[in-house]
Amino acid sequence: MFACPPYVGALRGQLRPVAKDAIVQTPVITIIDDDESIRVATRMLLQLRGFVVHTFASAGEFLQSLSVHETCCLIVDVIMPGMNGFALQKRLRDDGYRTPIIFITAFPEERNRTLAMAAGATCFLSKPFDGQTLISCVDKALNSRNGQNL
Amino acid sequence: MTSRSPPALGYFSFILPITTIAIAIVIFVVDTLTHFEIAVSALYGAVVLLAVRFLDARGVLVVSAGCIALAVLSHLLTRHGGLSVIALANLFVGILTIGVTTYLALQNQSAQIALREKAGLLDLTHDTIFVRDMNDVITFWNRAAEELYGWKEEEAIGRISHELMQTSFPAPLEKILEKMSRDGRWDGDLVHTSRSGTQITVASRWSLLKDERGRSIDILETNNDITERKRGEEKLQLAQAELARINRTTTLGELTASIAHEVNQPLAAIVIDGEVCLMLLGRDKTDMHEVRDALRRIVGNSKRASEIIERLRALYKKADPQKAPIEINSLITEVIPLLQHELQSHSVSLQTEMTPSRLSILGDRIQLQQVLMNLILNGMEAIASVSDGPRELLIRSSKNGADQVIVSVRDTGIGIDPDNAERLFNPFFTTKPDGTGMGLSICRSIIELHGGRVWASRNEGRGATFQFSLPLLQGDAPRIRR
Repeated sequence: MFACPPYVGALRGQLRPVAKDAIVQTPVITIIDDDESIRVATRMLLQLRGFVVHTFASAGEFLQSLSVHETCCLIVDVIMPGMNGFALQKRLRDDGYRTPIIFITAFPEERNRTLAMAAGATCFLSKPFDGQTLISCVDKALNSRNGQNL
Repeated sequence: MTSRSPPALGYFSFILPITTIAIAIVIFVVDTLTHFEIAVSALYGAVVLLAVRFLDARGVLVVSAGCIALAVLSHLLTRHGGLSVIALANLFVGILTIGVTTYLALQNQSAQIALREKAGLLDLTHDTIFVRDMNDVITFWNRAAEELYGWKEEEAIGRISHELMQTSFPAPLEKILEKMSRDGRWDGDLVHTSRSGTQITVASRWSLLKDERGRSIDILETNNDITERKRGEEKLQLAQAELARINRTTTLGELTASIAHEVNQPLAAIVIDGEVCLMLLGRDKTDMHEVRDALRRIVGNSKRASEIIERLRALYKKADPQKAPIEINSLITEVIPLLQHELQSHSVSLQTEMTPSRLSILGDRIQLQQVLMNLILNGMEAIASVSDGPRELLIRSSKNGADQVIVSVRDTGIGIDPDNAERLFNPFFTTKPDGTGMGLSICRSIIELHGGRVWASRNEGRGATFQFSLPLLQGDAPRIRR
């Protein structure tokens, strides 16, 4: 169901395929946040790391797109107009997607963190967050899928 | 009996009696001098009918008797003798005609008087009443309508009502007319424009008048001026919105959350864009365009962050009290009309005991009105759960010592637990299942900013009393001229 390739990442440097003759396919990361500045900056950061990045301003737009099937990792804002981050997480789980989710939020309530992690989120970061921390979370998220791939 | 327009006479007041007398004389002459074998005296009926127009019932009877007398006189004077059968028969017919005419005319006259009295009642009422036909042309316009709209009866009759008053309807006119033809009536609020251009909101009731055959002939419209009430409702809404706004801006928790959420967004973007720049600069071949773009974004987001802080500061400033001298009783009398509707719908009766002296304080009128409104509304809510017993609120204003004014709101509601009396005013403390716990703490903030105190106590009987004190504004005494 998912087109995410096996991936061995590193904190620095470019991506490397698992086998020498394996087909190189770049992981797709999707960012969902209603704030445009954050979408633009985070996209730039991840592209410099070699990822293909999709961005959406709302969960609704994401769900209606093809990105739902292609994305290997989601970076989602918790507080958004319309469907919020938690509701999206639940919806994807209910629909059978096991896409790893990283939450970013301007409201770092302890209660929210607990809820998010209990529901299986990879990371819960509060804004402003460190770029390197985000990249480590993405690595962690993609590696966690290794055992569950095609 | 009042009647705005003078009776049909008008300028007839001299001409009619003169004409009547002239006709009587002519009839007498013809009757006496001619030999016509007809009952000329029957023509006196015309005299009676004319007399009804300008004489009362007694006067008409006198005229009638006079005509009969003249008829008899003519008969006696006529040369052909008074005893011939035909002549007698003519006299008889004449007298009969005069009698019957008099009777019918008097009946008609009293019916007319009764009708005019009833119509006169329509002029006593304060409600504006007017009638228009199926073409919307006004055919009746009462005195209250003259007073409210500024158009006199003669000016309004014949005009199309919606044009004259520039009516603004709450729903399309077709729908309203549909409803009226179904139910025979309609009521709703309209906006009219008076002759002087003022807009008036009225509560309007329309009734469809039908004739005996069931055809619609007229529409009766009764209007009540509710412009003041609507203005009061608007003021209440504005005051409540102000209160809600101050709620939002003085809650520390909400303020913090507001700042955090809004400012953290541009800050997060700045951090990432900074790292982007570092990554770009760390490469062998740096893409300078991308570096520039990232730096531009950083500058933009920094400005955005500082604007957010600035906006929040401006919001806080608005909550600063604007101080001006306020007469304490005016505070109470201005707030009460805003709450009439609430008081009525909760069946709470409000009494006031206001100090007779003129006591002034220095303060922000809107904020103090909100404190008072909040205390009154709390009192009403406390009474709401009471099912047996009085439902009363008492507002008192009084001087305390030499330099303080106290305003108290006393209710007959469910009362307060004396242990809670202090905590009541703490933020987030509430005994209501859906309360925010902010109302009383805001009241305390406002009163303390004004240099006063607010406190609550349980009444000896039922209910609780909430009071606040404010420093008296000295220097009310009139200046002495030098």
